[in-house]
Amino acid sequence: MKTVYVGMSGGVDSSVSALLLREQGYHVVGVYMKNWSKDLPGMKCPWAEDLADAKRVAVKLGIDFQVWDFEEAYREKVVEYMLNEFKNGNTPNPDIMCNQEIKFKLFYEKAMEMGADYIATGHYARIIDGKLARAVDENKDQTYFLYRISDGALKHTLFPIGEMKKPDVKKLAKEKGLHNAYKKESMGVCFVGEVGMKDFLKEYIDIKPGEIREVESEKVLGYHEGAVFYTIGQRHGLYLSGEKGAVNDGMPYYVVKKDLKNNVVYVSKNLNDENLWTDELKLKDILLRQLEHGFLGDGSLAPVVTGLAPSSSVVTSACPQKASSQLPAKRLLVRLRHRAPLIPARFDGETLHFENKIKRPASGQSAVFYDDEICLGGGIIA
Amino acid sequence: MLKFLAFLFLGVLCYNIFMIYLDHAAATPVSEKVFEAMKPYFSDDFFNPSAAYLPAKKIASDYENAKAVIAHAIGAKASDLIITAGATEANNLAFTATNGEILYLETEHDSVRRVAEKYGGKIIRVLPSGLIDLKDLKSKITDKTELISVSLVNNELGTIQPLAEVAGIIREVKLDRMKRGIKTGLLLHSDASQALNLLDINVSRLGIDLLTLNAAKVYGPKGVGALYVSHDARLKPLTYGGGQENGLRSGTENVPGVIGFAKAVELAKKHLNANRKKYTEWKKTLLSELKDYELINKKHALDNFIVLCYNGIDAERLVFLLEEKEVYVATGAACAASKGVRSHVLKAIGLTDEQIAGSLRITFGETNDEEQIHEAAKIINDVVKTERARITACS
Repeated sequence: MKTVYVGMSGGVDSSVSALLLREQGYHVVGVYMKNWSKDLPGMKCPWAEDLADAKRVAVKLGIDFQVWDFEEAYREKVVEYMLNEFKNGNTPNPDIMCNQEIKFKLFYEKAMEMGADYIATGHYARIIDGKLARAVDENKDQTYFLYRISDGALKHTLFPIGEMKKPDVKKLAKEKGLHNAYKKESMGVCFVGEVGMKDFLKEYIDIKPGEIREVESEKVLGYHEGAVFYTIGQRHGLYLSGEKGAVNDGMPYYVVKKDLKNNVVYVSKNLNDENLWTDELKLKDILLRQLEHGFLGDGSLAPVVTGLAPSSSVVTSACPQKASSQLPAKRLLVRLRHRAPLIPARFDGETLHFENKIKRPASGQSAVFYDDEICLGGGIIA
Repeated sequence: MLKFLAFLFLGVLCYNIFMIYLDHAAATPVSEKVFEAMKPYFSDDFFNPSAAYLPAKKIASDYENAKAVIAHAIGAKASDLIITAGATEANNLAFTATNGEILYLETEHDSVRRVAEKYGGKIIRVLPSGLIDLKDLKSKITDKTELISVSLVNNELGTIQPLAEVAGIIREVKLDRMKRGIKTGLLLHSDASQALNLLDINVSRLGIDLLTLNAAKVYGPKGVGALYVSHDARLKPLTYGGGQENGLRSGTENVPGVIGFAKAVELAKKHLNANRKKYTEWKKTLLSELKDYELINKKHALDNFIVLCYNGIDAERLVFLLEEKEVYVATGAACAASKGVRSHVLKAIGLTDEQIAGSLRITFGETNDEEQIHEAAKIINDVVKTERARITACS
């Protein structure tokens, strides 16, 4: 009998994953990863309730259940990274880092040490021919958060609900009497779940108030609590109306630029402001998953030729694959936010080029690459 | 069938009669008589006791009479009681009596521990029996000690503490201080939340200066408690306003709550001896019918408290398995379980981590009958057997 260690968060997705694995005849061990337990002022971290929910399901399924404490590592690898990114004016995605460093690294490694054949999670994703692939439920696909997980971990990973649609997952949970079928969806990171990132950052980053200026006129329109709270393109929370100098015509202002050095946030009413739009994105920390895919000289995806040995490294514009050039190039698709539509792009090895201008995503977020349903990796927007 | 018929007729009026609720130390249902007594004060008799007109004066008088009933039950006067929104608040209020050194028992409830910690309190150890280590207490009292907090009944083990002996030690210390011309007073606070139901409490006989009471554990409403305050104790208010409750707890009086509390206390007193006898019998029955366990609170426990340990088993799993059969029990303390931390009480009496993990708390009460006790023993035995079989199959 093969052994699977399944990460159980107390939510319906991981609960149903454990249920399915058990029904498929695996020896299943449920594990609650304790990543964060600290309460914040005015907000109770729900970890203990989540743990109890996960355990209740494990008991109902008659499987072993353990709690693994990753708080120290989570703090070091995820929270510190996140805080540093914010301090540098970026908008990081802690869930991507959590998958890369905790769930598909520490959890995976420990499970293998304990004798697991596989690990499993309740992510909406699939593995097709050993490759990370988008979930059947396009609405819930979570490959955006998984694009950085290691090939080693992926080889030993099962995504039991990747072939299911969310409503069916919930229905199954109800049929099987799993109480958390009715549980409110968690927001991933427990400490941002209910208070929001701003309250979290206030606790951990030394912030100081500064000016909000109109980008066109340099006029001071108001004041902000701390530049790190603002993301380019954001329109909420500026509290400008009524400030001296602000023309309160009911039109919203958008954050278009941040000057961290002088702690100034620049805003504009002009939705066409050049800072808000771009037709190219430079990436850093690029991680490409499927090595048999290369990129052609024009930045489009090289086709895969069967029978040809996979190239040993990523082919960039400088070195297109000869054999491939005879087949029509494929379209590279990019996702810039979880659940955002896939948009065609070309990639030259460090920069993404788009046919039309797109709304500029925040730096620190990820651009994730797809060849149809296969996730090819991606990079972090510089 | 009988149960089904009863459900048809009574089901809408009361709690689920199919369940076997064995967690009365966590919460008790408001009894029907208590509920009936409270009802008029939500609507017909809603007046603010502080208002000048006659109907309001009647409410003020009903309220004072209700307080007197509660006070008399512990050998005190209505004016000695400060009504609070529960035992936690009463415990917090008690600690305003001093700025000096505090000693508290290591097995206290969090509503004492956390406050005592905040005031820099020092711990008094317990013996493996769960009783206070009187030698440790004596050795820790200094000339600056002003408050000692020892619960009357421990909420996880049901251990009844020898408060009169503690009070005796305190009397000696006070006498010695007087002889040496030291003016510092020394107060005894006791959280009696779990005790009011089954113990005859008399504050002067026990030598208690501050006593916490809780309506929710005696079939009264939740969110109602009281602090008895002797004339030696000088408290500072935690809330300011209209000056109700001797200026120590401002806010319009919770009239229905206190009426309910008084009724609950009255009923508890009335049935105290019969209940103790009944629970003692049930305890014997359950302990003889259950299999393969270790009894943790062998001595000095309240009649309705049983703490068992199933070695090698995770008791929390048992709680979830029993829950499916509508049998409700606790692991350690109900609140400790939800925080995922090991019980500080079970640790204090020297249990190993494995023993703590395997510990179940069963507390009887008025929702139970003898038939349920037999039924519960059967179900618990079954569930333990199932769990043991699962563990064997895994390894």
